[in-house]
Amino acid sequence: MIDLTDIHVDGPAGPLLRKTSLSLAAGERVGIVGESGSGKTLLALSMMGMVSDQLTVGGAISVEGRDMTNAVEADWRHLRARRLSMVFQEPMSALNPLRRVGDTVAAPLIRHQGYTREQARARALSLFEETGITDPERRLSQYPHQLSGGQRQRVLIALALACDPALLIADEPTSALDAEVALRITDLLVRLSRERNMALLFISHDLAAVSRTTERIIVMYGGDIMETGPTRAIMQAPHHPYTKGLLAARPKLWAPILSTHGKRRLPTIPGSVPPPQDLPRGCRFAGRCPVEMAHCATERPALIHTATGTAACHRQTADGAGGQS
Amino acid sequence: MRRLPVNLLIGGVLVALVVAAAMLSVIWTPHPYAAMDIPNKFAPPSPAHWLGTDQLGRDLVSQLMVAAGNSMMVALLAVSIGAVLGTILGMVAAARGGWTEEAIMRLSDLGFAFPTLLFAIMLAAAFGPSLTVVVVAIAFINIPTFARVARAAARQVWHRDYVYAARAAGMNRFAISRDHILPNIAAPVIVQATIEFAVAILTEAALSYLGLGAQPPAPSWGRMLSEAQTLMYLAPQLAIWPGLCIFIAVLGFGLLGDGLRDLSDPRLGQRRSHD
Repeated sequence: MIDLTDIHVDGPAGPLLRKTSLSLAAGERVGIVGESGSGKTLLALSMMGMVSDQLTVGGAISVEGRDMTNAVEADWRHLRARRLSMVFQEPMSALNPLRRVGDTVAAPLIRHQGYTREQARARALSLFEETGITDPERRLSQYPHQLSGGQRQRVLIALALACDPALLIADEPTSALDAEVALRITDLLVRLSRERNMALLFISHDLAAVSRTTERIIVMYGGDIMETGPTRAIMQAPHHPYTKGLLAARPKLWAPILSTHGKRRLPTIPGSVPPPQDLPRGCRFAGRCPVEMAHCATERPALIHTATGTAACHRQTADGAGGQS
Repeated sequence: MRRLPVNLLIGGVLVALVVAAAMLSVIWTPHPYAAMDIPNKFAPPSPAHWLGTDQLGRDLVSQLMVAAGNSMMVALLAVSIGAVLGTILGMVAAARGGWTEEAIMRLSDLGFAFPTLLFAIMLAAAFGPSLTVVVVAIAFINIPTFARVARAAARQVWHRDYVYAARAAGMNRFAISRDHILPNIAAPVIVQATIEFAVAILTEAALSYLGLGAQPPAPSWGRMLSEAQTLMYLAPQLAIWPGLCIFIAVLGFGLLGDGLRDLSDPRLGQRRSHD
């Protein structure tokens, strides 16, 4: 239902998102995984037409067959009011502290669906029920500070569902929440996606949450796609060294007990993400990659097919095994 | 509960005093303010005339009270008009950005270049001196001030997450400005309005002193001051009392504005540290 072709975003200091192509089918659940600054949010914002004016967006984008490449703000607003929706990371700051949450959810209904105040209130109430908000009747007239983090995130999901979107983008919806609340929110998103046949783009740096939620994963690093593939295949047999590093860095429940030689440290990917202007010109992961080759830092690897998906790694072309070492 | 700032308390008491006197003057004054009693001129304070009488035997307390009402009315009208128009312009500038913002802000720079007194003199020359001229002059001069305050505050609010959430829900700039921006910039605008209120009282007094404002017999602190000037050696109290009134009103609103700012700033600081 949404197709991005060669989408790229450039900032004043250089490219922030490299040419990226991506398609989502109706009702499909796709995850984007990556560290901070990997371009996940930028990719999501470009799908909403909400990239800051200071950045330039290039490439083609079409939503449900409608070409949005040269669309103006009014066209995007039309889509955001009806087909596209987004839930943001911080439920604490994503609600206006001076507005009753019921009014916040009712506003787009009144504006876009032509509801009366009473109809909008009734619809907001049913949305609150659908998103599992406790005591929904009373919540309608409460202010954000009276709600817990999980309840606020549910309100934001209700707001995003108000227009019956065909695509819901959830940008790290659980990062600010407790583990247990986060689990409930991810399950809620999956349930809503199934029940409404709504495509879900789940953005997170939490691999466990993404694997629970999605059918397909896109791994991003430094504003570039590293690897794509079905969730199960990626979790079990990653091809790209970056994905392997990410998976190895997951805490394992039994590791401390099973470990025979005393304390074991959690494996990490050495180094940290360089600022956008210092990223290598070739593969973005060069410099931190354990299986780097001489031309990795200068030549950008193409996304090539693996057994299950695609990966952008010179090792793939070199030995066809995704940098087995 | 946190203790209220001292300046807020003092300012509040002074403002309450002035406003109470002004409101009371509408229904009751000790004497009719314009009633002359020539044989009884320059009377010292007495139970009948609490602060005595002026050169025409008019009761000083009554005049000061009615003058307070005039002063409040001028300041209220002028600051309200300036605040509403300025805030709207500032919000439009922040919402639209680009050349619209540039045009509005450069025009308001131009507005800042006009000294209030000069502008009022120009208006008075064209339309004749009156309190209306004073209101228009002060309101006009206030527009750019409020445009700047509103735009600066609104620009910050436009980058808040809940504005992004509203945009993601397809709300347009007008609806976002009304529902999200305005309530969240109200605090700095109100603080500014209180401070501008003090400035407006002073400006009205200055213009009336120059004879551009309230026309006789309408009493005004500024005009009472200028009439008392020639009698300074004969009856200094005629200049002291209106001067004191101006002082109390300006100080009161100034302290109140400062106090309101103190009240809203630390709270903003707290909110930031929670993020």
